[in-house]
Amino acid sequence: MKHLHNLTIKQVHNDLLDKKYTALELAQNCFKWIETEDKKIDAFLNLDKEAAYSQAEKTDLLIAQNKPIDMLAGVPMAIKDNILIEGQPATAGSKILENYKAVYDATVIKKLKSVGAVFLGKTNLDEFAMGSSTENSAFKKTKNPRDLSRVPGGSSGGSAAAVAANMAVAALGTDTGGSIRLPAAFCNIVGLCPTYGAVSRYGVIAMASSLDQVGPLTKTAEDAAWVFKAILGHDSYDATSASVDYGEELINPRLENIKKLTIGLPDEYFTGGLSEEVEKNINLAIEKLKGLGLKFKKISLPHTKYALSCYYIIVPAEVSANLARYDGIRYAAIPEIENSTKTLKEIYFKTRSRGFGPEAKRRIILGAFVLSSGYYDAYYTKAQKVRSLIKKDFDEAFKKVDVILTPVSPTGPFKIGEKIDDPMSLYLADIFTIPSKLAGLPAVSIPPGFQLIGRHWREQDILGIGQFFEKIA
Amino acid sequence: MRLDIIIGFRLKYEYYNIMATISKKLLEHLAELARIELTADESKKLLKDLKKILKHFEELKELDTTKTAPMTGGTLLRNIFREDEVDFGQKSEMTNIEGRIIDSFPEVEKGFLKVPKVFE
Repeated sequence: MKHLHNLTIKQVHNDLLDKKYTALELAQNCFKWIETEDKKIDAFLNLDKEAAYSQAEKTDLLIAQNKPIDMLAGVPMAIKDNILIEGQPATAGSKILENYKAVYDATVIKKLKSVGAVFLGKTNLDEFAMGSSTENSAFKKTKNPRDLSRVPGGSSGGSAAAVAANMAVAALGTDTGGSIRLPAAFCNIVGLCPTYGAVSRYGVIAMASSLDQVGPLTKTAEDAAWVFKAILGHDSYDATSASVDYGEELINPRLENIKKLTIGLPDEYFTGGLSEEVEKNINLAIEKLKGLGLKFKKISLPHTKYALSCYYIIVPAEVSANLARYDGIRYAAIPEIENSTKTLKEIYFKTRSRGFGPEAKRRIILGAFVLSSGYYDAYYTKAQKVRSLIKKDFDEAFKKVDVILTPVSPTGPFKIGEKIDDPMSLYLADIFTIPSKLAGLPAVSIPPGFQLIGRHWREQDILGIGQFFEKIA
Repeated sequence: MRLDIIIGFRLKYEYYNIMATISKKLLEHLAELARIELTADESKKLLKDLKKILKHFEELKELDTTKTAPMTGGTLLRNIFREDEVDFGQKSEMTNIEGRIIDSFPEVEKGFLKVPKVFE
């Protein structure tokens, strides 16, 4: 069997039903491809063939019995390593969790297992999902499959690269400020960051809890809709999760309804600083969408320029609280701790000093700073107020338009090592993905590198436009 | 005087004196609180990075937020209370997970996590 390139979820589903191959053969085929391909790309941190094969056989059995199967049944997926799969490692890209094994399934994993999805393995990420290049992983640097000298984007760089290199058909990532959308854009695939609260975070290693969200990385907008549909919904283990009925058009959008949508183009996202290629691609996409009959309108999101500062105060504040739990005891000890380490305080210091990488330390200390008395109001409260202003910008804009179109990032993928010594310049890669996230809005990254931001709980609008765009692109 | 008041006073003192930037001393103090030991090199690089980042944050001062309410979380949901009832399905699932968590402890005594002495 030749390697099955460019498979979409729907293609796999049809092929399985047509008995062109079995789910087991497909999984074996993927692992074979990973064995050669991942030597160059370094997308995976851990593979679990046994678990994948036994899950694939369940689907094959259903097919043999002529029983109905779900759309995701037998679909080989890659899972970002900050999402727990019972019995498998979950390092979050950090040395501090090197020896940790998950003791339960995240809700998204449980849901995907129940519809028969096959998990090939866990993918690389920036440590605790902090970064925009996947260079901040404690274990390896993932390369961009389109150009191995460049970064895949981050922090879900392993998941994006795995899908882009055909090592997996779809993947899960997490997005706090752009961690699904940026790598999707850099690797030329689709990445959806759902509305805050649409998907449960139970069993997802927390970075910044007022922003973290799980979402799909896929080859098409329709695939993103299928994965999203499988993982969304209220979960009593995540109090921020909500129950929302997305209706039929999440999967099957109607062109008639999509054509009625007005797309806003915010001035602030188009005022210089865009690379030639990004600008060219965006203009091309706009022209194509106009051809579909969609109307465009210029809008303003006046507080856009403050989003980065706002984000880099709120996130470290939440990071310093969320990462306080890593004490070297409850989540397994790191190998570097000598037996001579006696007191609790010594264990804490040694574990955290050796276990956390530079970006984690930077954010923990910056977070402790902005939360300390005397600075709290000047930084943290101020940032929360600015967050309100940014959200208000979007509320106003959505009175005039239904969807907002922007670039995903000012530039394409940069060279590995290019920005590693200057955190501020790395943070700038996320300036277009952060504002919508602060407002809790859904946004999708569609090749070639544009972002569609929708109203709360209106993933069907942005994915619908994406689906029709793909048909004419 | 309580320790947090002393620290608070010291932070305030530094805030007004060095205009919202961070000193080596404060950095070391924060690292100590976060239980992170910094090497001299790490401390030097971190101080430089943080100064640059904090300088960037100064732009927020341009915004008048006196009448703006802070957005304190990501969710638009309102809190609702439910009856405090035992969900037996959930309980047995949790008991199961609890068992596996205890099994993964480095040292266990009577179902409790065993750690070194906190006080001598």
